[in-house]
Amino acid sequence: MTHQTHAYHMVNPSPWPLTGALSAFLLTSGMIMWFHFYYTTLLTAGLLASTMTMFQWWRDIVREGTYQGHHTSPVQKGLRYGMILFIISEVFFFAGFFWAFYHSSLAPTPQTGGHWPPTGIFPLNPMEVPLLNTAVLLASGVTITWAHHSLMEANRKESAQALSMTIALGIYFTYLQMSEYSETSFTISDGIYGSTFFMATGFHGLHVIIGTTFLTTCYFRQQLYHFTSSHHFGFEAAAWYWHFVDVVWLFLYISIYWWGS
Amino acid sequence: MAEEMKAKLKNYKTAPFDSRFPNQNQTRNCWQNYLDFHRCEKALSAKGDDVSVCQWYRRVYKSLCPISWVTDWDEQWADGTFPGRSELAAPPSPASSVLLPRW
Repeated sequence: MTHQTHAYHMVNPSPWPLTGALSAFLLTSGMIMWFHFYYTTLLTAGLLASTMTMFQWWRDIVREGTYQGHHTSPVQKGLRYGMILFIISEVFFFAGFFWAFYHSSLAPTPQTGGHWPPTGIFPLNPMEVPLLNTAVLLASGVTITWAHHSLMEANRKESAQALSMTIALGIYFTYLQMSEYSETSFTISDGIYGSTFFMATGFHGLHVIIGTTFLTTCYFRQQLYHFTSSHHFGFEAAAWYWHFVDVVWLFLYISIYWWGS
Repeated sequence: MAEEMKAKLKNYKTAPFDSRFPNQNQTRNCWQNYLDFHRCEKALSAKGDDVSVCQWYRRVYKSLCPISWVTDWDEQWADGTFPGRSELAAPPSPASSVLLPRW
């Protein structure tokens, strides 16, 4: 037997899971050293190690799938399940922060003055930049759908255009949100309002940046002819992730920005 | 009205059942009565009326609240940092003052 007689992918041994685990250890211990002792070396090493791990691990997946043909139908099905389960785990991650927010805001304690927003907190006006942010992300949902359809119709020009518009909208959202952060009269240490606001919106912002990076990777892969009109799971995974990020924002906007003001 | 209140105060044993707060956690009961005492004093002394009727709320919160809470809140009240809204009507929420420029 010199070749496999099944369609599954037996992955070659790889160092990246080990380097990933090591980088996770460096990141966690590095954060402790930074928070308590202002010492950043471990954290920097951890960030470097995790970035290199991610880059090389995903590069290898692209090599295995696009160049070596290992991503057969059942393999792709497994990748789909994987991405869906990952996104579900992220839903639970955000559920925690929404739980914290609702726990504190539905029954405000005497410390807050018995009402929400607490005394002394002046929330951002939900009808100003936050509403623009909502429009930006909704529009980016439209453009990424356009990109997907163009890709499926083998329209290279339009799929590149639509994908780059989606990325631009993602960057615009990040820019607007960063400027909003500098406009708030409250910080993360301003009581329970500050904590819930910045934990929820902060992690969301991080996910926007991750999603934008994923989309940018897809853009370059598309330019390098990695995708076909019928096989482009990397793009689909990025699109699912992007829609997830959009939905989380909608919940954030309605709960924290609008109802919570 | 004031005579009824004086009679109630004379016969006060402990805080009566308040159906607004039927459950085991009586935090809100304590808080509400503390707030109501201060609001009552503020409103009646502004109108120049007899403030002694407000003593009912004081008796209730003194019965219900942990002493440390009352101490803390009294200190905050004296400092002007008490977080509760002491006006009878809640002020308009800051987010609704759309016309106020914040730049």
